[in-house]
Amino acid sequence: MTSGEQRSRVRVFGLRARLLLAFLVVAAISAGTTAALTYREARSALLQTAQDTAVTSFRDRVQQTGFSLPLPREDLEGVLRDIARMGKPHPWVVFAEYGSIRASSGENPVSTVITPELRRAARANPHGSFERVVKDGVPYLTIAMPTVFKAGPDSVLPSGIVLYAVMRMTDEQLNVDALLMAGRDGALPGLAVALIPGLIAARSVLRPVRKLRQAALSMGSGRLDTRIPVRGSDELADLARTFNESTGQLERSVRELREAEERARRFASDVSHELRTPLAGMLAVTEVLDEDADGLDADTARAVRLISAETGKLAVLVEDLMEISRFDARAAELNADEVDVAEAIRKTLQNRHWTDDRVRVELPDGIRARLDPRRFDVVIANLVGNALRHGGAPVTVSLHTEHLGAEAHSPGTAVLITEVADSGPGIQPAVLPHIFDRFYKADAARTRSAGSGLGLAITLENVKLHGGTIRAGNLPGGGAVFTVEIPLHTEEADG
Amino acid sequence: MIRARTRRHAAAVAVAAAVPLLGGCGIRGTDVIEAGGPASIQAFVNPDYDMLLFFRSPDGGLNPVVRTTVPSDAVFGTEYLVSGEVEDSGVTEGPVPTEKVVRSLLAGPREKDRAAGLSTSLPAVRAGGTVAVERSSGGRVTARLPLALKGLDSTALRQLTCTIAYSQGGDGKAVVELTGQDGATRSDTCGLDLGNTGNVPTETEPRARPTPSGTTG
Repeated sequence: MTSGEQRSRVRVFGLRARLLLAFLVVAAISAGTTAALTYREARSALLQTAQDTAVTSFRDRVQQTGFSLPLPREDLEGVLRDIARMGKPHPWVVFAEYGSIRASSGENPVSTVITPELRRAARANPHGSFERVVKDGVPYLTIAMPTVFKAGPDSVLPSGIVLYAVMRMTDEQLNVDALLMAGRDGALPGLAVALIPGLIAARSVLRPVRKLRQAALSMGSGRLDTRIPVRGSDELADLARTFNESTGQLERSVRELREAEERARRFASDVSHELRTPLAGMLAVTEVLDEDADGLDADTARAVRLISAETGKLAVLVEDLMEISRFDARAAELNADEVDVAEAIRKTLQNRHWTDDRVRVELPDGIRARLDPRRFDVVIANLVGNALRHGGAPVTVSLHTEHLGAEAHSPGTAVLITEVADSGPGIQPAVLPHIFDRFYKADAARTRSAGSGLGLAITLENVKLHGGTIRAGNLPGGGAVFTVEIPLHTEEADG
Repeated sequence: MIRARTRRHAAAVAVAAAVPLLGGCGIRGTDVIEAGGPASIQAFVNPDYDMLLFFRSPDGGLNPVVRTTVPSDAVFGTEYLVSGEVEDSGVTEGPVPTEKVVRSLLAGPREKDRAAGLSTSLPAVRAGGTVAVERSSGGRVTARLPLALKGLDSTALRQLTCTIAYSQGGDGKAVVELTGQDGATRSDTCGLDLGNTGNVPTETEPRARPTPSGTTG
């Protein structure tokens, strides 16, 4: 869970980042568009006002000035300077063209800013006109003003005099720049403010998601009663509700399964218990019958011996069933004691009368381990008995210890390894995965075996109880080998 | 791959949307934009003793020139006049006769006009040539001129037409028929006037003027 949280924090394009990014993009687009449109409108309004003022006041000034025709060159510059002095909204430079006369209120009689297009427009039709020109980064307003005069009461004639005004738009430039700055300064804090709703939205989405994830993890670790608090009525609340319902159904199914399993186990346990008492009586009777069988006629004697043998097998089966029921009910206890392992194995073989040359042992002395002597006895007896029954003599029981994962500086885990190998044909590879299953018949044809069919399953449970493992395999030269590995807790404690 | 393509498309769309929005910060140049009518200046034309002559400007157009006929001892206008400029005419009242105006035009631009770059397209005419002007009904004016009309360019003809038309009446809209010594005739109107176009701002009269003298001969 902690590693998961770290992962989500490291994630760059997580839900939170994407939501924030989306909010920022939307805010940037709207702020940018608004600022740009406002700027454009304000700029054109600003320039429009300046231009209209300039054109109107220039026309007024010109109209208040008297000219004689033809225009005398001599005092023309003085007249132009008078007009220039009254420039609005800024001082302007006035140029005049008449015939071949070129004069101005400034130093040069001809302007470098006025374009041929403006000149042509002023000559072609009698209209005032202006043109904005940017020269060397400085914006200028150039105005052309053709003049007319009254030749009679109803008669207006073009005089041939064209006046030009050139005005620097420095102040307008400053105002436009200020507009741009204002737009920018307004948009950037807007973006910062947009982060707050973005964070809130991300939080409102991420919190239920995080809770859902924690609940799923908690369920995975076995707590099926995990539920999420449902808040609100949005899609995430629906998801939480669905999750809770599914969890409830899952919990119910699992509980039913467990109860069914429990019932089945208790049934097997009860059946074994109920069978044991009558079987004990039957065993006592069959022993008597066995003794008297020699006095009976041949057929009856065979029948009596068959009944006796089968009753004995039934007794073993019932004992095994009870044993495995205890494992299933987790009622099996480990009564561990420190024992000499080689000694324990020898005692087992002696008790089963496997002391002839059918069983060979390789048992080094001095290996001590904490084991349950009775259960270890069952393990060894089952394995050797199984080997003798299904494999072939001779059976070899060997014992040694090993340090698994041992390295130079750490001793690793010390394990006790017991191997039981036979000299039979070995185990078919298809059978190997099922060899420890209950009532599994390695040979389908041999439906009746001497064992109960639970021997290896009980062995496996006993080894597990010791915290060890058991595996089956085949030797390279033929013959099956069962390997039991049990951790040596004693050495660990001593060392 | 499809994702990358859509992403590229989205970026292209964003750029295409941003360019016209952000395009052109600051002040940009414009085309020539028309803004209102021309300026109406005060040229001090008095139809009683001023005449309008049309000469050729360096760019090929016609420029009107005001020439006064007031005697040099008149109180008004002396400061504008150099000696010898005043026409030697005994007429001191009413509009200047058209014959006299045409003779002045044929005499060509004076020093002052030439200083402003004005010239004439008309050929030099011997002094003493007679100019006869008749006014017929319907605002039609017929002028007999002491020169051959053949070979004159359009500027010369317009100089004559406009000068005669404006010497006849206030609005200069009369149809002028010219007859030359060679017998050729040309008929035209001046067409320079802006009085009726409507887009000229009408100004209040800066000074009192006599009533129009359309009926006087």
